[in-house]
Amino acid sequence: MKRPKSGMMRMERNWGLLFALPAILGLMIFTIGPIVASFVFSLTNWTIGGQMTFIGLDNYRTILTEDATFSQSMFVTTYYALGSVPLGLAAAFIIALLLNQKVRGLSVFRTIYYLPTIVPSIANTMLWLWMFNPDFGLLNSLLEGVGLPGSKWIYDENTAIPSLIMMSTWGIGNTVIIFLAGLQSVPTHLYEAAEVDGGNRWHKFFHITIPSMTPTIFFNLVMSLISTFQAFNQAYVMTNGGPNNSTLFYVFYLWRTAFTETKIGYASALAWILFFVIMVLTVLIFSTSKKWVHYEGGERS
Amino acid sequence: MLKRRLRTWMALVMTVMLTGLTACSGNAGEPANPNAVELKFMYWGSNDEKQAMEKMIQSFNAFHPNIRVKGEHVPGDYTTKINTLMAANQLPDIAYLGDSLTMKWASEGRLLDLSSYYDEYPELKNKLKSSYLYSEPGKSIGNYTALEVMQLFYNKELFTEAGVPVPPADPQKAWTWDEFLEIAKKLTKDQNGKHPGDSGFDPKNIVQYGFAFGNDRSSWGPLLASNGGGLTDKTGKKYTLNSPESVEVFQKLQDLVFKEHVSPDLIQQQDMPSNTIRLQTRKVAMVVDGTWSLLDFSNNKQLQWSIGVLPKLKEPKTMIVAGATVIFQSTKHPKEALEFYLYHNNPEKVDLFKSGLWMPIEEKYYTDEQAIQSWTNNAAHPLEFQKAGIEYARDYAIKPSTSTLRNWPDIGSKLTPGLDLIWTNKKTPQQALDELEPIIQPLLQGVYPDE
Repeated sequence: MKRPKSGMMRMERNWGLLFALPAILGLMIFTIGPIVASFVFSLTNWTIGGQMTFIGLDNYRTILTEDATFSQSMFVTTYYALGSVPLGLAAAFIIALLLNQKVRGLSVFRTIYYLPTIVPSIANTMLWLWMFNPDFGLLNSLLEGVGLPGSKWIYDENTAIPSLIMMSTWGIGNTVIIFLAGLQSVPTHLYEAAEVDGGNRWHKFFHITIPSMTPTIFFNLVMSLISTFQAFNQAYVMTNGGPNNSTLFYVFYLWRTAFTETKIGYASALAWILFFVIMVLTVLIFSTSKKWVHYEGGERS
Repeated sequence: MLKRRLRTWMALVMTVMLTGLTACSGNAGEPANPNAVELKFMYWGSNDEKQAMEKMIQSFNAFHPNIRVKGEHVPGDYTTKINTLMAANQLPDIAYLGDSLTMKWASEGRLLDLSSYYDEYPELKNKLKSSYLYSEPGKSIGNYTALEVMQLFYNKELFTEAGVPVPPADPQKAWTWDEFLEIAKKLTKDQNGKHPGDSGFDPKNIVQYGFAFGNDRSSWGPLLASNGGGLTDKTGKKYTLNSPESVEVFQKLQDLVFKEHVSPDLIQQQDMPSNTIRLQTRKVAMVVDGTWSLLDFSNNKQLQWSIGVLPKLKEPKTMIVAGATVIFQSTKHPKEALEFYLYHNNPEKVDLFKSGLWMPIEEKYYTDEQAIQSWTNNAAHPLEFQKAGIEYARDYAIKPSTSTLRNWPDIGSKLTPGLDLIWTNKKTPQQALDELEPIIQPLLQGVYPDE
């Protein structure tokens, strides 16, 4: 690196550092610091207000071997993720395809599909609380209108998670936007080449659109998996984890352990286990990605 | 270049100014005594409660030039907030606190032991016995902020129309369960006006329920006590929720909903508005609710309501459901905090007693006729309150397990999912409560002392 030549450049560098400092300090103090601290806490039995004793890996051992609530919440979260990630990706992809057409009022449609993403998540949740209401909610009224039996939705152990999976497709606006951007960057010369070779719409879709979109699909898959594993609001606002723990999302359990049961040490260990689980899943997806993600211009990983 | 430098400086100056302004904006308007001791008081509650609190704080500050209390109203998730403050060591001096957390922190030495100030402040000793919270024998960190017990609120008109007697206000004359059930049936109607038990009664289209109850401890707690049951035995070390006395209570409650059809289930209750509106719109004839609801009820001018005592199983009993006010051990000004503590729930200084939200904790307000009149002789307290409020709270109220059982936060969060099975009719109470035993038993760590 060359030394700055003039006083002006030096000054610019100094100012630059000065203005970046808050961000750097913020990262150190509010992100890296708490991460390190939570790991240290996870090795203690600290409850809020109580004494802190170092207990090594005891919290982790208890969680993995004795804690039935842990396995329940892991099950709930996995179940939710297995349902909502594929459904969300598929729905977002289809909507993106539709929004990529040349029709009248396209921008209106684009706005409509993005709108729910702008509404604050808690407000969305309140809205769905009403839609799910077994007695006068929108969903059961619709079902009754066409002569079908209603459901208890989130108020029944068996239908609670499927209901929440259905609700999760509401917030896919961001995924749609990313897919849409991906669709619009598919090189048109490929389509032209396919046309020259006599390919029809399906050929174009399966041999050009999908392969060109794999990097975008890959990105959205990873992002939605991570965010799904951190589902919280639904349990916090709608179900309180019930009935009978059937919607006890992992992060909700973690939050409850920390702030209702005041067991910060234990909750920190839970947080690290979640981090580990998400990391393993992400690594798994990354390692399979070579087989199905195609980048234009040859092999890259 | 000059321009740019100028702009940078401008930005910096602006930032500094803004920071400075925010820092000063807190105490504008009040003539501050520079030597005054500053105290921070944190509390929850509705808007009404907030206004009453602010008024009380202002008058306290006016009469105590050397102390300046700053109130902080927390409308949202109070427990999370105060837990966070405790974790960060940034607690207020004095604060409302849920009873289970109060007991936990008291036993961990985080709260000021008020019993060591008894000689200096004898007023600390004149409260009702049941309102004291002891972390160790003889060591009290104070009392419930106010005494509030569970009662039966009802719509008078519905009783007149059905031609049945209203719930008794005298605890000695409390209904037996059968009497209660009989009347609840007469007050329950389907859309054809039929009652449960009539031929052709349609439980799917009930337009008016006789009774509604919630799924938390404030509904089943008093009945458990009335039947001699409980979550644990006296030592708090043995799980007894599956004893015959306890199971009977849950069975009776489950039956109210699914067998007798006189109460809505929990899902139906989700649709229903607050208790006053439920009674006013004739959805429900009787509800179980706490004394604090007197405030809401007396604000509802369209409803003819009153209160009675809960039905009994073996003996009449009700339960205290109340939070505490505590002074944290970390305060730098314990004496000033005590001054404020004694002031903040004194019926002569705070109008929350006359408006119905609170019941006093000082003994004389339950025994001395003139003192009783001073806070109950008003529209928020119907005539029946003399028996169903004062006498009931004074002689028949027990403390809830949230105040008495060690390790409640843990126990409570494991208890709720298990009881859900009863409230949703997935299991019989016997099955559900048996299944809870291996989950709750290991968490039991005994009880806090009672004196």
